[in-house]
Amino acid sequence: MREVLAVVFREYLIRRTSPTWLFFDLAVPLLYLLMFGVAFDKALGHGLRIGDAVVPYNAFFLSGVLSMSSFGSAMNQSYGFFVDRDNGIFYEFLTYPMTRGQFLFGKILFQCLMAVVQCFLTIAAGTLILHIEIRWELLLFVFAGMTVGTAGWFFFLAIVAFRIRRNDTFNTVINVAYFVLMFLSSMFYPLDQVPSWLRAIAWVNPLTWQTDALRFLTIGLGSFSSFVLQVLGFGAFLALSFWFAVRTLQKAV
Amino acid sequence: MQNVTSVEMENGKEILRLMRTDHPKQALDFSLMSGAAIEVHDLVKTYQKRHHKPVKAVRGLSFTVRRGEIFGLLGPNGAGKTTTIKILTTLLAPTSGSARVFGQDVVADPLGVRKNICVVIQENAIELYLSVCNNLRTFGRFHGLTGRQIDGQIDRVSDLFGLREYLNEKGMDLSGGLKRRVQVAKTFMVEKPIVFLDEATTGMDAFNKRRTIDAIKEESRKGRTIVLTTHVLDEAEELCDSVAIMNHGRIIARGSVEDVKSMSLRLLYLTLSLAAVSDDLLRAIHIRNPIAVDIKDTTIEVTVREATEALDVLAAVRQTGLLRHFEITSASLEDVFLQLVDTKESAS
Ligand SMILES: Nc1ncnc2c1ncn2[C@@H]1O[C@H](COP(=O)(O)OP(=O)(O)OP(=O)(O)O)[C@@H](O)[C@H]1O
Ligand SMILES: [Mg+2]
Repeated sequence: MREVLAVVFREYLIRRTSPTWLFFDLAVPLLYLLMFGVAFDKALGHGLRIGDAVVPYNAFFLSGVLSMSSFGSAMNQSYGFFVDRDNGIFYEFLTYPMTRGQFLFGKILFQCLMAVVQCFLTIAAGTLILHIEIRWELLLFVFAGMTVGTAGWFFFLAIVAFRIRRNDTFNTVINVAYFVLMFLSSMFYPLDQVPSWLRAIAWVNPLTWQTDALRFLTIGLGSFSSFVLQVLGFGAFLALSFWFAVRTLQKAV
Repeated sequence: MQNVTSVEMENGKEILRLMRTDHPKQALDFSLMSGAAIEVHDLVKTYQKRHHKPVKAVRGLSFTVRRGEIFGLLGPNGAGKTTTIKILTTLLAPTSGSARVFGQDVVADPLGVRKNICVVIQENAIELYLSVCNNLRTFGRFHGLTGRQIDGQIDRVSDLFGLREYLNEKGMDLSGGLKRRVQVAKTFMVEKPIVFLDEATTGMDAFNKRRTIDAIKEESRKGRTIVLTTHVLDEAEELCDSVAIMNHGRIIARGSVEDVKSMSLRLLYLTLSLAAVSDDLLRAIHIRNPIAVDIKDTTIEVTVREATEALDVLAAVRQTGLLRHFEITSASLEDVFLQLVDTKESAS
């Protein structure tokens, strides 16, 4: 644990050097919800009809924003590997007395804490300003979902960061991947109204699993059985990504 | 000092192994523990990249480093020194062969290895966004020091490496040499039994080089094992108990500095200060077939192979009555290095 905390401490010191960055990190998803959500909410008038239920767009979009911020946090954090590699400090880290797993775990722990704070601010704004009705009793599970989601995406993106040497290539690959994953998921729209090919792809997209699970936890949309399936699916994605990231890191130099 | 010289076969090639039978250092702590600090056996590393020809960086390396000694890995650019150090510090997996650091296998127990080492890698490694103080602080944390120990060590190393006035400067605002000093200073905060220094003094001015060399000596006196690479052969000559000279991924000579120096053609330089230079005198020198004779005004430098040859020349010159002063010096490590690398180069 000491090793993991040492990594967290280092991440904290780095983040502390740039308060502006920290502020934007916390505020971006919230701004997204307020601007994007409000506009669509107005455009869609009476909300979305999903099965028998009618859900205001803001409420539907909330979990989309939450998984978007998970992915965004993970993206920022994995980009940090390039900065560390340029400074040379990345290689020095790998000679410190800790396992590759502890290093990766520490790298994301601080970011997970940030994601939980982001999540809290976004939900607070959603309820206070947009009057979204939240299942408050499940808030801790939502936090857990944010933590697991951020970690899962981070490990996944870390694999890409260790394999790609150039940061411009990494940026391009990741931005395209983000764009594709986002629109081929349930982030912006319910999947029962999209073409079947899109639905088929979206169902195997971990971003859909995370978004739907968070949607179930925040506003109770969806069934418990599909929630369990999606949690298991994302859990497997996280475990596999972690395992691959550690393996890739062992050969990264 | 007693020397034992033996010839052994390694990868089908004959190499000279020279061992010193007595050890000059007062062994303490770590060095008192039995066993070698580093054992490398038939180590091979081939870099494989898609669409590139494989690069054989290390080709069957074997050597042992004793606990408590300062070991220098020397060799020209691209010889495979950094690759070897990367394998020993668990940054790279070997293609084949084995290496043990403080008894732990680098492949089977990399964490066990990392617990016993600290490393100055060849590249600069510094947190650009953090202050010097926080650079040292995070390093201490990673190596398990408590807050109080960290404060104490920051105090100690900032005096040792003249960093006190820079403690609040950010990494990105430091000059190249200062960055290197911070990087080196970090490794002296923790008492790991083995320290790896890959060209640690690169970019440092003479004054700070001296500081670093003295600090390395001091740590070695405490019984830490130090493995270093350097291109400054005077530095290696001053510091190292033993050295290995690498070229093209292989060791071409190893032993104590003195022993490696004696592996050369045993060149000796006889410098003669004379009242005047006469034809008789030059004839007396040339008749003894020296390797080279270099005349500058009334000073003549004669290069010979053996001490007896030097004495022979000296006696002959003395008989002419022109000799005022003389000096005999042996080849430096640098002379030997150049000679060995050159010889092996032409052989290959
Ligand atoms: N990542 C890599 N991929 C491919 N080849 C490499 C890689 N790293 C090193 N090499 C090659 O391996 C050989 C040994 O390199 P290495 O860095 O170990 O040499 P060195 O002795 O440390 O040299 P220097 O004195 O210049 O630091 C060189 O031919 C180098 O080009
Ligand atoms: Mg090198």
